[in-house]
Amino acid sequence: MKFFYSPNACSMGIHVLLEEIGKPYERVRVNFAEAAQYQPDYVAINPKSKVPAIQRDDGTVLTEFPAIAYYLARTNPESGLLPATLEGEIRGLEMLEYMTATVHMRGYTRMFRPATFTPTPADEAEIIEAGRGFVTKGFEILEPVLGTKPYLLGDHLTFADSGLFFLTHWAKYRADIPMPANIAAYLARMLERPAVRRVLADEGLAG
Amino acid sequence: MKLYYAQGACSLGIHLLLNEVGAAYELVKMDMRAGDLQQPAFLAINPKGKVPALALDDGAVITEWPAIAGYIAAKYPAHHLIPADPLAAARTMEAVLTINGTIHIAGFSRIMRPGKFAPNAEDKETVRSQGREEFLKGMHIIAETLGDKDYVMGAFTIADAALFYVTLWNNMIAKLDIPASINAHYARMMERPAVLKAMQAEGLA
Repeated sequence: MKFFYSPNACSMGIHVLLEEIGKPYERVRVNFAEAAQYQPDYVAINPKSKVPAIQRDDGTVLTEFPAIAYYLARTNPESGLLPATLEGEIRGLEMLEYMTATVHMRGYTRMFRPATFTPTPADEAEIIEAGRGFVTKGFEILEPVLGTKPYLLGDHLTFADSGLFFLTHWAKYRADIPMPANIAAYLARMLERPAVRRVLADEGLAG
Repeated sequence: MKLYYAQGACSLGIHLLLNEVGAAYELVKMDMRAGDLQQPAFLAINPKGKVPALALDDGAVITEWPAIAGYIAAKYPAHHLIPADPLAAARTMEAVLTINGTIHIAGFSRIMRPGKFAPNAEDKETVRSQGREEFLKGMHIIAETLGDKDYVMGAFTIADAALFYVTLWNNMIAKLDIPASINAHYARMMERPAVLKAMQAEGLA
C-alpha cells in the first residue's frame, strides 16, 4: 500500500494510524511547495489534488480522510482502531466529519490559506480571524466530548483520534491557538506514543 | 426519532433515507432565515447550530450528515444502505464525503453565501465563480464513479441520497451544466416513492 502525504498536512493523522497498525507501507511525499498536487501524475491518482490518499496494491485509490481512517480501522481489526460498538463507530464518524469538514476546512484553511477565500489581500486578516474563531469554537465543542477520557472514544486509541491529533498539533505548533485543559492534556498524551513520535520524525517535525 | 431539518437543505438526503428504511420518525422543521438554528433551544440539541440532526428516542443526538446516514444504514441492515465489504463501504463514504465536502461546502456554499467567504461585496462574483468550479469538479468526479450504473455504487446506498440533494440544488438554483448521467440519476431517484414522499413533505414537489 502507498500512502500519499505532505509533511505537516492533515495527512499526519492517517500517518499515525498507519504507524499504530504497524504493517509495511510506502510513504510517497506530494510536494505542495512545488504544487505537485496539481501535476498530471498526482491528479491521475487523486483528481481532487488533496492528501491524504492511499493506493492499495491492486492499484485502486481511496481518498477523503474519514473514509481512509474508517477503511484502515475496518481492515485491521487487531489494531483495535475500530470501536467495538455501533454507537462508538457512529460517534467516531461524527467527530471525524466535524473535525475535518468544519474545524479544518472552515477554520484552519481560513488561517493558512486566506487567499482561497478572498481575492482581496486587504481582507485576509479578517479571514484569518474568522478561521481562528471556527477552530476555537471547535475545541469548545470537542472539550466536553473528550472529557477526562484518555482518548476520544474511551480508554484506547481509535480511528477518531487521527482527527484530533492533527487539530491539536496544529494548534500548538502551527497556529498558536490556546486549547482547553483536557484537549491540551490529550495532545501531551498523544506525543508520548511511539507511533506518533515516528510520524513526527518521518515528517521532519520532531522537537 | 426526530429529524431536525430545513426545507430543501442537505437534511433532505437524510429525510429520504428514513423513508427508504420505513423508520418511524417525527419531522421538526427549522426555519434558517428566521434564525431557528441559532436559538438556545436548538443549540442545546446541536451546539453546532446545523441541520440535519437526528434525536433518538433515548435523547441521544447524532449530527454530521455521513454519521447520521451511517447510523440509519447500521440500524436497518436489510436495506444495505452501506455495502458490507470494507472497501465498498469506504468507497461509499468516500463518495458521500466528496459530495458533502467538495460539491456542497466548497462549491454550493460559495455560490449561495459568498459573503461567508470574502467580506468585500465586490468579491462576490469571484467567489461564486470559484464555487461553480468546485461544484462542477465534484460532479465530474462523482460522474466517474457513477459511470453507466443506475446508482453510485451499483445498488442504492447513502451516496445516492447525497447526490440527490446536490443535484436538486443544481436543478432549482445553480443551473450548471452537469453530466447527463447525473441528471439521469436524478430522474431515477424521483421515481422512488421514498424520495417523492420526502419531497412532498418538505413542500418541494
